[in-house]
This record gives sequence, structure tokens and C-alpha cells, in this order.
Amino acid sequence: MKKPTRYGMVIDLDKCTGCASCMVACMAENNVPFREDESDKLLSLTWMRVYKLTNGKPFPETDVCYLPRPCMHCGGQVEGYSPCVVVCPTIATDYSMKTGIVSQIYNRCIGCRYCMAACPYHARYFNWWDPVWPDGMEKYLNPKVSPRMRGVVEKCSFCFHRYQLAKEKAYMEGRRELKEDEYQTSCTQACPAGAITFGDLNNPKHAVYKYKKSPNAFRLLERLGTNPKIYYISSRAWVRRSGDNYLKNESKPEKAVLRAT
Amino acid sequence: MKVDRRSFLSFLIGGAAGTALSPMPWKLTDDSAIWTQMWPWTPVPEDGEINHVNSTCTLCPGRCGITVLKIDNRAIKIEGMKGHPVNDGGICLLGLSGLQLLYGPTRVKTPLKRVGAKGAGHWEKISWDEAVAEVVKQLGDLRARGQSHLVGLITGSDRGTVPQLFTRFMTAYGSPNSMRTPSMLDSYELTLQLTQGTRALPGFDFENADFILSFGSGIIDGWGSPVRMFKAHSSWRSGGGKVIQVEPRLSRTAAKSDRWIPVKPGTEGALALGLAHVIVKESLYNADFVDNYTVGFEDLQRLVLDKYSPESVAAITAIDQKDIVALARDFAAASKPLAICGRGRGTVSGSLDEFMAVHVLNALAGNINQKGGIRAFSEIDYINWPQVQKDAVAAAGMQHERLDGAGSKKYPDARSLLNRLPAAVRPGAESPLQALLVTDANPLYTMPGSTAVKKAMADIPFVVSFSSFMDETAQNADLILPNHIYLERYEDVPTPFGLQQPVTSLARPVVEPQFNTQHVGDIVIRIAKALGGSIAGAFPWDGYQTCLKETLGHKWETLMAKGFRLDNNYGAPAWQMSFNTPSGKFEFANKETGRVPQYTPIKIEGDKKLYPLVLIPYDSFRLFSGYIGDPPFAVKTVEDTVIKGQDVFVELNPETARALRLREGQHAILSTPRGQAKVKVHWFDGIRPGVVALPRGLGHTAYDKYLAEKGVNFNELIGPVEDPETGYDAAWGIMAKLSKA
Amino acid sequence: MSTSDDNAKEISPEAAGEDAKASSSEIKNKEQGNGSGGPGTLFFMLGLAVSLILGWVISPELLYSQKKQPIDYNHVLHLDLVEDECESCHFFRADGTFSGVPKMEQCIDCHEEVQGEDPEEIKFVEEYVAKEREVPWLVYSRQPDSVFFSHAAHVKGAEMECVACHGPIGESETSRVYEENRITGYSRDIWGKNIAGFKKNSWDRMKMDDCAECHQKTFTVQRTDVKTPINRLIDNIIAVAFPGMEVSAGIGDSVQTQRDGCFVCHK
Repeated sequence: MKKPTRYGMVIDLDKCTGCASCMVACMAENNVPFREDESDKLLSLTWMRVYKLTNGKPFPETDVCYLPRPCMHCGGQVEGYSPCVVVCPTIATDYSMKTGIVSQIYNRCIGCRYCMAACPYHARYFNWWDPVWPDGMEKYLNPKVSPRMRGVVEKCSFCFHRYQLAKEKAYMEGRRELKEDEYQTSCTQACPAGAITFGDLNNPKHAVYKYKKSPNAFRLLERLGTNPKIYYISSRAWVRRSGDNYLKNESKPEKAVLRAT
Repeated sequence: MKVDRRSFLSFLIGGAAGTALSPMPWKLTDDSAIWTQMWPWTPVPEDGEINHVNSTCTLCPGRCGITVLKIDNRAIKIEGMKGHPVNDGGICLLGLSGLQLLYGPTRVKTPLKRVGAKGAGHWEKISWDEAVAEVVKQLGDLRARGQSHLVGLITGSDRGTVPQLFTRFMTAYGSPNSMRTPSMLDSYELTLQLTQGTRALPGFDFENADFILSFGSGIIDGWGSPVRMFKAHSSWRSGGGKVIQVEPRLSRTAAKSDRWIPVKPGTEGALALGLAHVIVKESLYNADFVDNYTVGFEDLQRLVLDKYSPESVAAITAIDQKDIVALARDFAAASKPLAICGRGRGTVSGSLDEFMAVHVLNALAGNINQKGGIRAFSEIDYINWPQVQKDAVAAAGMQHERLDGAGSKKYPDARSLLNRLPAAVRPGAESPLQALLVTDANPLYTMPGSTAVKKAMADIPFVVSFSSFMDETAQNADLILPNHIYLERYEDVPTPFGLQQPVTSLARPVVEPQFNTQHVGDIVIRIAKALGGSIAGAFPWDGYQTCLKETLGHKWETLMAKGFRLDNNYGAPAWQMSFNTPSGKFEFANKETGRVPQYTPIKIEGDKKLYPLVLIPYDSFRLFSGYIGDPPFAVKTVEDTVIKGQDVFVELNPETARALRLREGQHAILSTPRGQAKVKVHWFDGIRPGVVALPRGLGHTAYDKYLAEKGVNFNELIGPVEDPETGYDAAWGIMAKLSKA
Repeated sequence: MSTSDDNAKEISPEAAGEDAKASSSEIKNKEQGNGSGGPGTLFFMLGLAVSLILGWVISPELLYSQKKQPIDYNHVLHLDLVEDECESCHFFRADGTFSGVPKMEQCIDCHEEVQGEDPEEIKFVEEYVAKEREVPWLVYSRQPDSVFFSHAAHVKGAEMECVACHGPIGESETSRVYEENRITGYSRDIWGKNIAGFKKNSWDRMKMDDCAECHQKTFTVQRTDVKTPINRLIDNIIAVAFPGMEVSAGIGDSVQTQRDGCFVCHK
């Protein structure tokens, strides 16, 4: 039987330059608001956020790596048990068995922020304020994504509206299946380094299928069993190791062991 | 009938029962739920037909092709244009934020005339007729008094029809004082002229190079055409290319490089010559090229063998001898090595010696005009306007020496020395400039020594800004004639810096002009026509669009259809045809002028005793330090170790910080001979001890509330330091002191 | 002109009457048991009557404001003249998006000049065509911004008829009054003409449950019967409240609801 579609991403950290194009591409696409002071990063809404990792070594052995972090669209240990989905009391967030995408329905959300507490990746953000655009700037808002109101949680949707638009086009042409390039997220498309690859992780014809099998591929906090759909590739061992919380003397287990658990 | 308590209660109970049996409670509950879920004040963007417009982004020198997504008449999002030779679908965060500039609060919405003191921010809205008449009157009066040479012009670039219309205007009007915003292009052009005999743009074949030795160039921090550099960087990552970054601070480029050489700041040129020493001594150079197509190799040989041994260079640069030797061997052994320079984004002209020393490495590797190498790229010039017929006033005006000293006996090689302008406008004395036109530039913010620039500007009686935005220069101008922004106007976009093939692109209106603005090209033509005589005669076009169409000729059709025009056939000539020097060869040294590559340290300002630290700027790709300030989206991406609230962080090695007893996050006063500022301290292991780094692009006093009043403008803390040979600003840092606040 | 109100009014007293009958019979029993009667019953009845009238007749009137379309539009007249039925004016774009209410750009194809003698058409040409203004049509079927509805999926994918959701609007010779909910700002068509929310036809109401009617049935994904705590809670509630109803068998796109996923109709 054909495996169901599971959209996911592979981000090549060797190519990623930390330029933040993905962050802005996401904000521009998804009507993410902004405020006068965005320096408190706990309050700053960034569906996609680029983290800076350091190896902690003194000059001149210091090394830095950038890591873009969208929503991981966790499958959970048993598929569907995403950390955020199971705790939502209002069915405002859901896991789709069709696409593997974790959705967020803003006007179902009551703002209890239980999902934020459950998410180990800080991928969810709370609207502490009503979004306000300076006079005239509402003109650039994207009608395909509804602006959020105060008091709800929001997060990366894998640009689901792009999936919907691609589907509409497919229907017009009498198709049901989407081609790989028809549905790409805004960050993937914008990345000037070509570091982000997006597609169906279960489809051997898609590029992500190949990349996720790279010996340098890893996922964040794999040992939590969240089964995230974002894979990272790095040729630097310290970067791969910083993808999870290891004890000082603990070595990173081999990939095969991780897969089995 | 008497209503007793019992009856009343019965009435109420009946009412309650009836209400419960009517649909209203449920309906009202539902409606109020809908109301609270869709607050009427949350904007609902209107849907409509999707369409796309191709254009070119001109916000930075990168010149990427863009595709703007529109819904009906609204521009919704800017994306990279697929298939464009510069960026092929990729786009940077500034390009993505363009709509925030288009629809944003920083636009100047109508012509403005200053009322009240300069810079006080009091403006009177005037009509375009009045605005043009005002300029014509002021310039006309000066000309009538025979003082046409007292008018200055500052442009962002001097390439393309709009800057050329401006310089043409200056020539016809009669002033030699056209200046462009400085950049590394100044020194690169000159390097190519002195060694290869062509004053040209450098073209780098990054895509085919396999060993990139960068002397502080922010390959992925905004140097050159940024998206193109990102793409090249990725191709090295997947194709096995190596990047070596020579820089005192672990920038993004250094962090992503294969090897970081944390050189002592300001000694990059010495390191380049040290590498040349090893290459020459061990005969690792390309013998075919050096023996047959160069002159002055013996001079170079003598010099580097004498003065730049690994031992002496190690002492200058604080880089281990072994590393120097190994690096030189790796460079020479690579099949397509390429050395580049221009610090960070390349916003400072730089030291000619340093550029020459780096270019020597390319010549030793024989990668001039080769695949994966560097070439002097003479753009195929499409601007062939008839020569300006100067009247007597113009001819006399053009005879005057340039105010900035470019082309003078002292600095014969320089073309424009905007960095020397503030010194020329001496406070108190009658200003040598009576009027100044500023377009596509924000010198009040971007020039080192910006405080002095501001003072000089205040002394010039008539400053006209053509800016689309209320930037620092516009704020302090006397008159603002706002230009359309790039998404509202036609403009030709010449090949960006660093490309190896000519690409002409077209910026075209994506949306109708949003405000009462005018194309600056139209305004220049209008002013010229109003001034009459030979000035009007120099502008035979009825408007900018006619001018552009005529100038581009047959290219216009291609540009309209495709958005760009790529000349694929532009090949680099073979070595025997490559050099326009008197010898016809590549000149390592020139006997006549006595110039040989050498390392002359650029002495930065400040006394070591008073200022024990070295302050260097750094370019973060998320902070734009040029004419365009960060739009809100870009500000949002800036890390909390760069800005926190209004405070900017300086980066300091923990070792130095401990010695100064400054904790992480602590407030401190950063002082230099030029000024002081309150900053916060950020401990960063990736910086040389004894060095303090401050980001460029902050400390704006203009632009919107999302950007203004955050951090410190680096240019207030530094001043220009003249390269003794060229007069260009070569300051790479300044001595500084950090003390507890 | 027949408006939706007339219908509502027709239904309301009837329904109210039934309810009143039912309640009064209960009260009678009570009275007999108590052995007392008189003013109490009368006042109860009065209270009941007042609140029922308020709830069924007056409040719905107050809840909606009546708005007239800027131009009285005749669908029948236009349908006679076009070739491609509804899609002649309400067409799909090549990218699969749906054009919805026509823009001036389309109308102008025929109405550059006044065609006939209809005063509405003259008004249309003079007020809008000549002044190059878009007509501010009031869209009966306008959904909240949180709703994603794909016409392509329904019309092209599922081959549904326009009538299924929009009703026989093509048979209208005149534009009916647009009733705007004073609280939410949406059209009465969303909740339905019937104030109690009863529907006779598939197009009578366009709320989430109406979408779910189909989206509950058409599962496209087989899934294992994994259930989240929320699912189990829902199942339990269903099992207790509606003993006869079959609890979802663990199929469907959504992990939470076992129906189609939320993102199918939401954005």
C-alpha cells in the first residue's frame, strides 16, 4: 500500500547562512504582525526563527552555526499524538492524517497556552496584543491567510494555504495529486542559499526523501519521541550533537538505535 | 387588576419558559461567539485576482530580479524572480520587506519645504510646481552670479540613466562637484586600472572558483550582490569548494568558512604579502602567466622576499607562521583559487595597498580572465548621449577644482572623495557649497564622522533631498522632492558589483504611485528645461520614460518582455589581449610611478594610552547600513544579543571583558576620539581579545518608530582616515575605551 | 416582493403555538394537582406569550438590519443572454481560484453604454460605469475570514451544482433584501432564514455544521483507531447523550475529530 503523504522539511545547516530570509518570507506570507520593540524574543511572533548555536569553545576555537526552526509538525510516538494536539482542550489544533500537518484554527483557540507549554520546540506563539499595522500598511496583507486576533496561539502552518491553492489548480486540471514543486512553503522558496527542501517525506521521488537519509541528518530532541518532520543536515559533529540534550559523558547514539526506539 | 407577588413571579416564570422555548438565547450566544472570534477591528484583507509583475529590486547594490505577487491592485508579496541571472528565485530579507517601505509610514508623501530651524522637523506641504520653481530660482540665482560651481551633488551610484542624468545636469549647469557614495568599488576600480590598465568593475567567477580566500569580505554578510553570493556559497558547500576567511571577528562568513584566520585588525594587507612571499619563494605561482604576461615581477619578488617573510608577517598579523605557510601552499595548490577583499559589505573605500596586495595573489595564481577567476569587467555602455554643449558659465564652472580634491594634484587617481567634504565645509566660514542636491543617498547617516557631516550640511544654505523616505538627510534638508519608490517607477538597472557577465535589468511600476511623488528623472529634466538655454538643450527628452526608451534602444523590448537582458557571449579576452597598460601586460609594479605592492598600515584615530581597545564595525546581514534603513520585518529578525530594548550590544572577548570587569549584559560607556555612547556588553568568544565590535545600521534618528532611536550609529563614533595615496577613506576601526556606565 | 421575513413569520407563530399548547397542558395538570388557579396562571401565560412573541417575532426583526442592494439585479434576464450559465459571470480563473461576484471589468463588456430602458441599468451605468467605481454588492454568502472555501474542490472536484449551496438564486428576477446581523455583521443567509435554524433545503444555512454534514461522511484516509484523550472524551459524551448513535470508528483525516481535518475548511 502506498504510504500516506507526510509533508516535511530537510534543512541543510551547512548551506544555511543565518541570513533570516526565511523568517521574513514567513512573516510577509503569513501576515505576522510586528511591534515597536521586538527584542524580547519570548513575545516576538516568529513562526520561523533562526537560532544561533555556539560550540562553547574559547577564542579562536569558537564556532557558530545557525538553525532555522519552523514548527516541527510532530507525528508523535504513535502517529497523531503530537505534544500540542493531545493537550488542546478545544480542538483548535489538530493533526491531519492526510498530510501530516499540525493545524491551528485561530478562532477556536481560547488562548489557554497549554499547547505552548507542551511544545518542546518553542514553535508556538501567543498573541498578547491585537495586531496593529501602521496606517496604510494593511494593504500588503495576504488574503489567503487570516490575520489573528489578540488572545490566540499561532504557529507555522507549512503555508497550508499554498497547499489549498495548489489543490484548487489541480482540481481545475482534473487532478488530485500535487506535484512536488506545486506546493512549497514560502521559506523554502525564498531561501537564497537553497538550504531548505520541502516535500513528501514518504515519497521516494521527492528530494526530501533522499536527503533525510543522509548520514549527517538529525532531528531536534529526537529522544522525546516527538517524531518531528523537520530534518537537519550538518557535517559538523558538534552541531548534530547539540540537536538533543546529552549528558556530558554520554555519546550520541547511532542513527539505527534512534530509529528503533 | 392587582398584581400580587405571586402573579408577578408567575409572569417571570412564564417569561423565562417562553424565552427558553424561543431560539433567541441560542442565537444570541452563537452570534456573540462569532463576534468575539472575528473582532471587527482585526483587518480582513480583501481577496481578488492573483497576478504577478516582474521587476528589479534596487534597495541594495545586489540588483535582484523580483516577482511581485498582487491581489487586484494591491501588492501582497515580493518574491525572487526565477531564472534571473543574479538571484534565480532567491531573495533576501530586505527585498522581501519592500512592501513595508512602499506602504510604510516613512514615505515622504508630497513635496515639503522647511519652515523653522533646520532639522527641527517642521514642514510645509507645497505643490510640485512650487517645489520645482524653488529649485530653479535658487540654482538660477547662483548661476546668474557666476557661482555655478558652488552647487554639489551626492548620488548613490554613478551608473545607470538616473545618476547619469544628474551628472549631465551638473555638467550643463556648470559644477564639477558630483560625488557618489563611497564603496569598495573605488579601490577595486583603481586596482584594476593600475595593474590591468582598465578602470572597470571587477567581475568574479565565484561559481567556478574552488578556493576562496577572503580578506574580511562578508561573503554571506552582504558583500557584492548578496543573493548571488549566497548561491555561490551553497555551490561551494555541495561542490567541495573551500572558503578561508581572514577577519578578526567570527562573522557569519567566518563561521561558515572552512578555516577562520583571526587576523589582527588592519593587517590583512600584510598577510596577503606574506602569502605572496611563500608563493614566490617556493615557486608556486603560475609560471606561464607570470613569465609571459606580467611586468615588475622582479620588483615584487625582491620586496616580498625582503620584507614579508612568514616570521615578520606573523609578528604583524598575530597569525602563526606555520598557518601562513600552509595557507599559501593551499592557495597555490588549488585549481581555481580566488582572493577577494573589501571588508564586510564593502561600504568603505579601503586602502589601495591592501587591494593591490590581494590582487597580486590573483595574478600569482594566474586567475586573471580565467574560469573561476577575476576579470576587469567593462560594462557594455548603452548610454550614448550626445556631448553636453556647455555655455560660457558652465565652461567656467567646470574649470574649478573639485571641492573634495578628487582628481587634484594630491589625489589624481580618485574620482569622488565624499569623505573629504565635511572638512572642506568649514564651520563659521562662508560655505564653499551654496546648494547641495542629494539623491539615492543618506550621507548624514552613512558617512563616517556623521556628526561632522551633519554640521557641514547645516552650513550649506540650500539642501535638496530627492529621497522617497524621511531619512536623516531629508530630515535636515531645506526642500524634499520625493521620488517614487522602486516599485512605482521605471529605471534601468546596470550590472551589479561582482558579476562576470553584463546583466541589464529593468525596474518597472508594480503599483500606481501611492502618494503625490514624482519620478526623479522627470524632475531633473523639468528643472533643466526651466533653467533654459544650453541646460535645457542638454535634455532633449520630454520626460524620463522617453529618455529611457531612447537610451535603451532595442534593449527596451527585451527588458519589457523578460525584465532583464543577459549578455552570454561576453567572454574574457585571452591574456595577450587582456591588458591596457602601457606595457600591454599585467603590472605587478610600475617603474615610472615607482609603485610596488606594499603594506602601509592605515593608522587609525586615537591614542593607545587613552583608548586601549580597538573598535571595529561589523555588518550583520539583518541590519542595513546604507541609504535604506531596516524595515520593521528586518528589525524583527535582529537577535537579542544585538539589540535589547533601545540598547545595542558591543561584542567583547570574555578575556577582555573580565579584565575590564564588565559582566554579560552590563551597561558600559563606549568612547572614541569622535564621541561616546551607552552600550551593553555581550561576551563573545569569536572575537580577538582587545577588540570591540559594534554593528552598523543602528542608531537611526529618522525612519519609523520600529527602527529609530535603537542603538548607536557606528558612524558617529568613527571618522574617515585618508589613504595617503588615493584620498579614499580607509578607516577600518578606531581606538576606543569601555568603561562601566 | 417576497422576502425571507415572510417565511420566518409564517413559521414562527405556528411553532410558537405548538410550544404554547404543550406548555399550557402541563400547567393545567399542575393546576389540577394543586387545586388552585386564577391570576397566577394568567400571568404565567402572559409572561410566556410576551417572551415567545419577543423571542420568535420581535427580536429576529431587531437582530437584523435590512439593506438594499445598490442595484436591483435580475439573474433571469442575464441567464437568458449568456451561454455558460452561472460560470459565464461567476467563473473560475486558470489558477483554480474563483472569481465570485463579478467586477466592473466584466460588466463593462456589455454595459459600457446603457442597453435598455431599465431604470436600474441606467443607474448602474451612470453611477458606477461612468464613474469607474466598483459596485459595493452585498454578498449573501460571505463567510468569515477564518473560512477557507474552495469552489474548485466542490464544483470541479466533487462536481456539485451551484444550487446545492446557493439555492435557486439564478431564478431571481430581483435582488432580495440583504439582512445583516447587527452583532456579527454577516448575512442572515449564513444562519438561515429560519430563526430557529431549521433547514429544509441544503442551501438554507451555511454554518460549520452544514459543511461538516458532508465532510463527516467523505473520508479519504484510512487510519488506525488511535484516539487522543479529546477524542475519547467526545466519544464518551456522544455515547451517553445519544445512545443510538454510532461512535466514530476511527477513520478520517483529523486526529481530534475523526472527520475531515480542520485545515480543510479553515485558514
